[in-house]
Amino acid sequence: MTAISRIEELKAEALTALTEARSTAEVEQVRVRYLGRSAQLTEIKKNIRQLPQEERPVVGEAANLASRKIEEVLQSRLAELSTAEREARLRAEAVDVTLPGIPFPKGNMHPSQRVIDDVVDFFIGLGYRVAEGPEVETDYYNFTALNIPPGHPARGMQDTFFLDEGVVLRTHTSPVQVRTMLTHEPPVYVICPGRVYRRDSDPTHTPMFNQIEGLAVDKGLTLAHLKGTLTAMARHVFGEKVRLRLRPSYFQFTEPSVEQDVSCFLCDGKDPHCRICKGAGWLEMGGAGMVDPAVLEEVGYDPEVYTGFAFGMGPDRMAMVQYGVPDLRLFFEGDLRFLRQF
Amino acid sequence: MRVPLTWLKDYVDFDVPAGRLVELFSLHSQEVDGVYRLGVLDGEVVVGEVQEFERHPNAERLFVSKVDLGVEIVQIVAGASNLYPGARVPVVLPGSLLADGRKLKKARLRGLDSYGMMMSERELGISQSHEGILILEDSCEVGRPLTDYFPIGETVLDIDVMPNRPDLWGVIGVARELAAILRTDFRVPEPQFDTGGAPTGEYGLRVEVDELCPRYDLRRVSGLNPGTTAPIWMRRRIHAAGMRPVSGIVDATNYVMLETGQPIHAFDAQKVRGGIVVRRAHAGEQLTLLDGSVRTLDEQMLVIADEERGLVIAGVMGAEYAEVDGRTSDVLVEVATFSGRNILETSQKLGLRTDASGRFERGLDPNMVDYSLDRVSQFLTTLAAGRVALDTLSHNPHPVQPWDVPLRLKRAENLLGVAVREEEVAERLTSLGCRVQRESDHVVATVPTFRRDLTREVDLIEEVGRLIGLDRVPEELPAVTTVGGLSTEQQKVRLLRRVLVDIGLAEAVLYPFGPDRWADGLMLNPEDKRRRLARVKNPLSAEQTNLRSMLLPGLLDAAARNKAFSSHGGAFFEIGRVFAHNSIPQEMEEIALTYRLQGEKGLEDLHAASAEAPTGITNGVEGLENLTPFSGVEEALRVGAVMAGTVRPGGWNVPPFKAGFFDIKGIVERLVPRATFNPIQEPFLHPGRAAEVRVGDVNVGWVGELHPRAVENFTLEDWPVAAFELDLKLCDPDPTPHFREFVSVPAVMMDLALILDSRVPIGDILESADGLSPLLADIRIFDMYTGPQVPEGKKSVAFTLTFQGEQTLTDEEVKQELDKIISHLSARFGALVRGV
Repeated sequence: MTAISRIEELKAEALTALTEARSTAEVEQVRVRYLGRSAQLTEIKKNIRQLPQEERPVVGEAANLASRKIEEVLQSRLAELSTAEREARLRAEAVDVTLPGIPFPKGNMHPSQRVIDDVVDFFIGLGYRVAEGPEVETDYYNFTALNIPPGHPARGMQDTFFLDEGVVLRTHTSPVQVRTMLTHEPPVYVICPGRVYRRDSDPTHTPMFNQIEGLAVDKGLTLAHLKGTLTAMARHVFGEKVRLRLRPSYFQFTEPSVEQDVSCFLCDGKDPHCRICKGAGWLEMGGAGMVDPAVLEEVGYDPEVYTGFAFGMGPDRMAMVQYGVPDLRLFFEGDLRFLRQF
Repeated sequence: MRVPLTWLKDYVDFDVPAGRLVELFSLHSQEVDGVYRLGVLDGEVVVGEVQEFERHPNAERLFVSKVDLGVEIVQIVAGASNLYPGARVPVVLPGSLLADGRKLKKARLRGLDSYGMMMSERELGISQSHEGILILEDSCEVGRPLTDYFPIGETVLDIDVMPNRPDLWGVIGVARELAAILRTDFRVPEPQFDTGGAPTGEYGLRVEVDELCPRYDLRRVSGLNPGTTAPIWMRRRIHAAGMRPVSGIVDATNYVMLETGQPIHAFDAQKVRGGIVVRRAHAGEQLTLLDGSVRTLDEQMLVIADEERGLVIAGVMGAEYAEVDGRTSDVLVEVATFSGRNILETSQKLGLRTDASGRFERGLDPNMVDYSLDRVSQFLTTLAAGRVALDTLSHNPHPVQPWDVPLRLKRAENLLGVAVREEEVAERLTSLGCRVQRESDHVVATVPTFRRDLTREVDLIEEVGRLIGLDRVPEELPAVTTVGGLSTEQQKVRLLRRVLVDIGLAEAVLYPFGPDRWADGLMLNPEDKRRRLARVKNPLSAEQTNLRSMLLPGLLDAAARNKAFSSHGGAFFEIGRVFAHNSIPQEMEEIALTYRLQGEKGLEDLHAASAEAPTGITNGVEGLENLTPFSGVEEALRVGAVMAGTVRPGGWNVPPFKAGFFDIKGIVERLVPRATFNPIQEPFLHPGRAAEVRVGDVNVGWVGELHPRAVENFTLEDWPVAAFELDLKLCDPDPTPHFREFVSVPAVMMDLALILDSRVPIGDILESADGLSPLLADIRIFDMYTGPQVPEGKKSVAFTLTFQGEQTLTDEEVKQELDKIISHLSARFGALVRGV
């Protein structure tokens, strides 16, 4: 057997072995057997000097070509197999993607706060600032400055918590309006969210609840501006289709005074069994009106120069309507079964 | 005010369904709380005469009667036993619909046919009485429809009268209002009666307190038939209007009150000694009232007395001495006006509110007296054959006259946002009872005295606006020239809330009211300033007496409620106010009280105020600063959180999460980035797992695990509880960023394990290492160990130090810095390098 034929034979063997190799490890074995230090092909190359001078280049070239060919096929086979092996490995790593992930649980913002932020943002967009004040108020700010002097029957409308002589838990956020007007010159555009207190407890009344009041005092403000503002707010909160209606009402600190109703955003008054409006067709949003001239005078504004409007609404009740909560008391009990729904 | 519609029709003609009436009233006047229906809603009731009345042969409690209905004689089975042959009774015919929803059918009761039903007063809507069948007067003709005598069904509007409209506390006032809304006429019956009874002047009248009693009229009606009952039509109206028919005389006074809004009181003249005296109560004077209660009066209260004893708490309720009874034949009728405020205060002090006091407290028109007195005189003559005295004793020292109020049309437009025409202004105001004169650009309305709420131009504008309809007002947006937005503080609070929610906590909003139990449950020392509570004088319950001085106890109670609902636990927070009582120094009391009642203006009058006001007292305008406001109550905004029980249940890939000190501390670190923490002793906190939170020198609050006893006191046994409570001022969940240069050369990380005395606070090590080397960019703890591998009383702490230089650091440079740090920590804390 000549060296050449031996080379060809080895090459053929190696290529067959590579074709038959089923893993990168087997390919590695082929490399060792045919290209390794003690491989026959390597032996042939090492011993090439022992060959007759004229055979040397021929055998040398044949051996090199064979090695190169084997190496080439080996590389391609290796790539092929390692890709397949990685794919197989990845397949083996498969997880049940329907299992839950590591939790980063969402917390819960109080439903009333959601409404408050929404309403406040709306009014910020209109150019209002947010005003706040103490929850423990004086008789003067909570009543007298709002045109409700001592002994006035309107005081009886608001069951008041008393702390001391002339000290109450505010029954509305209106004192914030007075404090704002006393410290600012018109134009005034403020929105006042806050907790208020009334001595009342049943399924629809809690001794504490949230209120949002707004106040605008400027030259030339009319009831039409109040109506337009409230309509825009109602559409922001309840959707573009709702309508607003005003009904006469009574508050000491506004004249004329009105109640604001918003048409039912769900049934628009068409469903007598509507779960939102209970068939009324309207949702009561709260009181409003033109700031009473007596209040303007009390804070040193000239009612012949400035007019203004004020309005109030109950974010808790709005949240009840928006989220379908049947009982106001749920809002203030810290019950996680309730809070976690928001 | 409950207004029966058939009554309303006495004064105003209308043909409007109840639903539309409700809408009209709501849109133009007062809210309507409800619509009630009484009696027979649909069907026929005829007068029948009982011919036979016997026990039902097959039923012990039933009776059977033959009733003549005029056209036929029918058999009716009844449950009532008060019938007899000859009795005239109302019979409702089959097919009729009753207010309680029953639809009547021919029936067989225990084997006998029964045609229709004989009716009780309650079934007819006359009274609550269901004792027996109503026996009609013999003048009722057999076979005639009962509606020929009085209505058999009634619709009642329950009007929610605003406090400024006492005129609507009578059906006449409501009729006037309805006529104004419908733009139609209304009429008032003219009272007519004959005089000639015993003179009123045999009794005296002395009003001692003008200011509490602007008007008092007294008129005698004598010769009354004792024990008269009011006719059915009157009783059913009284009943429909929500009152209880009592007796002829009392019903007549109540009827006129319901009609006019003017309360009326009748005394049995024979029981009045000497005459009527209107005076203040004596201190401690006691009266036994008609409801059987004994009331102790004070000198602020007004009493109607005779020369010897108090007879009535004026405007509220009568005592038993001089009340009319079944033998009364001679009455003194009181029609008076009292100070509304005084009646309100008396009623509140006594906790006694009646139909009369509810009307008086709103301040009645003294001119209502005349009509009401004549009207009740009329009824006493027609119902009980009384004879009215010719003379009336009257106290009316300052008669009230109508007043003029001008109204500029331009001003009306400026307020309403819609132009109004002079004619419509005049028409609307006239319909309310005003006399209107028209001038060039304005009108002058002469306001009737029963509209005491109409004193200013703006009051009239409101009336015009609501009557023409607020739907006429267009919708416009003002051109706002101010810039809106949240203040920095407000943004911070909002962000804080958002961060806590994003971390996974639930936001609670809790009542600030709490019981004494709270301070004890938290084991606060007697001198602890958090026991200096602001208290509610009139709490809803003893559990709600105090205003919270901390958010914690409310959150713990909420956690306990959740535990009671078999919750496994959770984490929640509240952002809310806490309160503390601070006594006003004695020398400041007058100033404080003046301020509370009169505001800054009151203080201007008290010139001394500004000079004497010690620092630390404020008018509370900012409200949230820690100064004692004149209210004597400080308040501050806090954020508090509680993580209790199993905050999060475990999953297939996570263990259950129960919060310990470092969990809750991590949240505080997130909220207060520059916070430092020092051990703290709070009675309600774990003595070894609680820290005071500071920023620089300022205390921001505390954080820690709860003391197991506090946990038990709040019935949270077996639950791990961690909490914090922070002042909001120094919370800064998103500090303003400042750019710092950074270099791109690689940093070098070195690990360093130190053996330290176990008492050495790691915080001190970190703080002390900070700044030791300009190259030290970061230091982090990656392991803590105590146990057999380190000597007792020692701990091993492993740090990763990151060094960063302007250029790539050499090993030599790093080694040098590390040695510097080690030698400092060794010197200061006795730290030994472990395992090097």
